[in-house]
Amino acid sequence: MLVPSKSARRAVHLLFLVLVVPVFALPLLVIVAASFATDWSGVLPSGATLAHYRDIAHGEALDALLTSLATALAASLGALTAGTWAALAAEKCGRRTRRIIDALFLLPVAVPSVVVGLSLLVAFSRPPLLLNGTPQIVILAHTVLVTAFAYQSVTAALSRLDPAYEQSAAGLGARPAYVLWRVKLPLLLPSLTAAAGLCFALSMGELSATMMIYPPDWLPLPVQIFAATDRGSLFTGAALAVALMAATLLVLLGVSRIRTKASYR
Amino acid sequence: MPAPAAPAAPARNPAPAAPGPASGIRFDGVSVSYGRHGEHTVLDALDLTVAPGEVLALLGPSGSGKTTALRTVAGFVQPSAGRVLIGDRDVTGLPPHRRGIGMVVQQYALFPHMKVADNVAFGLRARKTPRAEIPGRVAEALEMTGMAAYAGRHPRELSGGQQQRVALARALAIRPGVLLLDEPLSALDAQLRSGMLAELARLHRELPGVSILYVTHDQIEALTLADRIAVLDRARLRDCGTPQDLYRRPRTEFTASFVGTANLLPVTVRADRDGVDFAGRRLAVPVGDGTAGGAAATLCVRPHLVGLGARPPGGGPANTLRGTVTEVQWRGSTHRLYVAVDGHRVLADPRELRTTPALGEEIALHFAPEDAVLIPAGLTEDGAGHA
Amino acid sequence: MVAAGAETPAAASPRRPRPRRVAAALWSLPPIAALALVFLYPLALVVWQSVSPEDGGHSTAPYTAVFAEASFREALTNTVLLAAGATAGALLLGLALSLVIAFVPFPGGRALSRFIDLFLAFPSFLITLALLFLYGSAGLANGLWTDVTGAAHGPLDFLHTPWGVLLAEVTYFTPFVMRPLLAAFSQVETGQLEAAASLGARPWRIVRTVILPEALPSLAAGGALVLVLCLNEFGIVLFTGAKDVVTLPMLVYTKALLDGDYTGACVVAVVNITLSVTLYALYRTVMSRTGGGPAFRTGGAHRAGA
Repeated sequence: MLVPSKSARRAVHLLFLVLVVPVFALPLLVIVAASFATDWSGVLPSGATLAHYRDIAHGEALDALLTSLATALAASLGALTAGTWAALAAEKCGRRTRRIIDALFLLPVAVPSVVVGLSLLVAFSRPPLLLNGTPQIVILAHTVLVTAFAYQSVTAALSRLDPAYEQSAAGLGARPAYVLWRVKLPLLLPSLTAAAGLCFALSMGELSATMMIYPPDWLPLPVQIFAATDRGSLFTGAALAVALMAATLLVLLGVSRIRTKASYR
Repeated sequence: MPAPAAPAAPARNPAPAAPGPASGIRFDGVSVSYGRHGEHTVLDALDLTVAPGEVLALLGPSGSGKTTALRTVAGFVQPSAGRVLIGDRDVTGLPPHRRGIGMVVQQYALFPHMKVADNVAFGLRARKTPRAEIPGRVAEALEMTGMAAYAGRHPRELSGGQQQRVALARALAIRPGVLLLDEPLSALDAQLRSGMLAELARLHRELPGVSILYVTHDQIEALTLADRIAVLDRARLRDCGTPQDLYRRPRTEFTASFVGTANLLPVTVRADRDGVDFAGRRLAVPVGDGTAGGAAATLCVRPHLVGLGARPPGGGPANTLRGTVTEVQWRGSTHRLYVAVDGHRVLADPRELRTTPALGEEIALHFAPEDAVLIPAGLTEDGAGHA
Repeated sequence: MVAAGAETPAAASPRRPRPRRVAAALWSLPPIAALALVFLYPLALVVWQSVSPEDGGHSTAPYTAVFAEASFREALTNTVLLAAGATAGALLLGLALSLVIAFVPFPGGRALSRFIDLFLAFPSFLITLALLFLYGSAGLANGLWTDVTGAAHGPLDFLHTPWGVLLAEVTYFTPFVMRPLLAAFSQVETGQLEAAASLGARPWRIVRTVILPEALPSLAAGGALVLVLCLNEFGIVLFTGAKDVVTLPMLVYTKALLDGDYTGACVVAVVNITLSVTLYALYRTVMSRTGGGPAFRTGGAHRAGA
């Protein structure tokens, strides 16, 4: 509508493709292509192979995938619980209290992830809370980092929820707990699952804090990918990256299916 | 997940109590103010009583405070002063879920994730009504609103009018002593609205014990449905009375112009209190006891009571006005004439005319003395209502 | 007959001044306590450790020591320059792409914007990994060059320089700019554009006078967010693996894990936190000034169960 002439429009679109294809489309494509290649020294990779996938299908890499999935599941459940709880409580508070809670729960976004890792290391390396060297510290770090996103999503969803539902329910004699359980949470369900998916994806790809604190027996996928590329096995790294992307996508797809089923409007 | 803000639960009543004495509502000096120092007053010292079984319409333009008044009864707005009573119980500090009221809001707010039957059962389940009793009560409420056939549907599958009925059924299922209706018909189109009005009137005849507080900005709804109308404007109660009373004997200019259309003429009461002076001529109108001779007042005459010609065709006493026609509108069954009488605009709504007067034509108008109402000055701003 | 009187009349209740607010504040305590334990308290310890030199006592000596290091000053400069450059790049690219998607629509445009959204769900280091295959010494671009010219080496060798980090950051963070921009653009009424066009305004003029003023808050908010995220970016720099590209987060990592100098790491961490939290506070202010950003307004707060 902005560019009326057909040829000008075509020129704009061409320019658009020239920008988008190398910047956005190619990176993901080359990772997928490289994961199936034995060698890449020309324009195109050479030697199609499944060897990299066979390599990662057992041993360390599979462990890493399972480790990442377990970490992401635990972290997103924890973050969703804390974030939803805080968002629901903040909504009922006065404006000033709400602003404080907002600031507190969004702070982890602003603090560098590496520093979050460092701080956990500093705080939990001595008794009584000796978590350094345990899987729990990784899960804790991920939970801290993704709680902010859960809080933000639920707060946004709450502000979109028509207060008339809650008021009608209260007017009909429902106590606050009953309103929450029977009306608010069901209506928020689509947003909650979306938030859970986001948290899961972010945790699956978390590297910065993890690099600071991972114990030798709890290596999530991103750490493995780094280890592989760092020792020069780029193609193995690519295969692991594809596994990471696929797992993330599958979870996001699953969540969006639940979401469409659960959305009433 | 625990609920934020759960006040200490009192001894809960297991089921709705036996049909107690019909409740009624009382506003006792209820004020609502906002702002840091309470500088924005949206409701100013409202005193009003809704008798048990009565339908009271809160009528006013938007921003008059009528919805705020209703929400203080429901518990969604906390008065900054005064008390709200339901029956003889002071509910001012009670949270909404312990007030035992039924409420229908403008947009219905049916729970989209529940079927119609579950929506109607919601209040019963929330109040821990014995499980065996619920289906019967749901069926009864749906029957009453003519929605029994839709029990298995989801709200999104219903039309606006049907959602309205379900919202009513949901409110009635808990057998409230008090029903609050907040502009319940404003989301419907004109035709559905008049149908629903008749329906509401029927429901009220079937439930004679229920007090209804009906908030509306539509005078037709108020005139049709209400036993009494309370007129609100700019946070204050301006007038209160039966529809006939407000229409025929408005006590303030605001009531006269908001309930129906009115010609409001500035007049002076004659010294002998035998009629009034309007633009230098005497008009014969009844002067009430409260009006002193020589006082300024406003004369209210309804346009449909203003006839064409100097005298009524059948004879009898009449006041005559002469003026110039400035505008003629055809409105189907009537004509509306705009006539300039000594610089004042007078409206007349005669039945459809065979020949209409031309613009600029000099014509005569008449009205009977008993059709005019004298509104004393001074009552216009301060509000005259007492419930 | 439905009867009146639904609740047994309780004893006339005394007036309680806003008890619900207090209860709500109480309910917010458990999550805040949890957050304090696992986030705020550790963060406070970092600050505490940064003023506790190895040889005991408390002083600002660690700061003096770290500030004196050339590597620190270089990391600070690198971090700020890279973040500023990447933010500028992401803003320009994001603005251009969003304008086309929103106002010069083409089939598949919506699918494309959803595909770009996908980037938000993937970790940043994937981009650096991909760039290795694209522009690395044995990658696609150099391969194309050697195949065509027969030369032994390709011309592109920038991945292990700051430019490689810059390219990766622009790529990764552009979607963060596009999301709020597309939301803002969807608020611009077609009628306004048509009115401007019918009055004889040329496309660029319409963009400048009608579209951009509407989108400016989102652009500012997106830019501020990207700036904070760039200041904190670690994965891209780590994967680039260049010795001469050290940023503040990278310095925290090397000091703590490779050198074992926790106090020094904490000093750098405090500097990094100060930078990014200040900027983030600024970003939140911009957001609240613009009413929570247009994305929040599109939800339609009063759509009842229809």
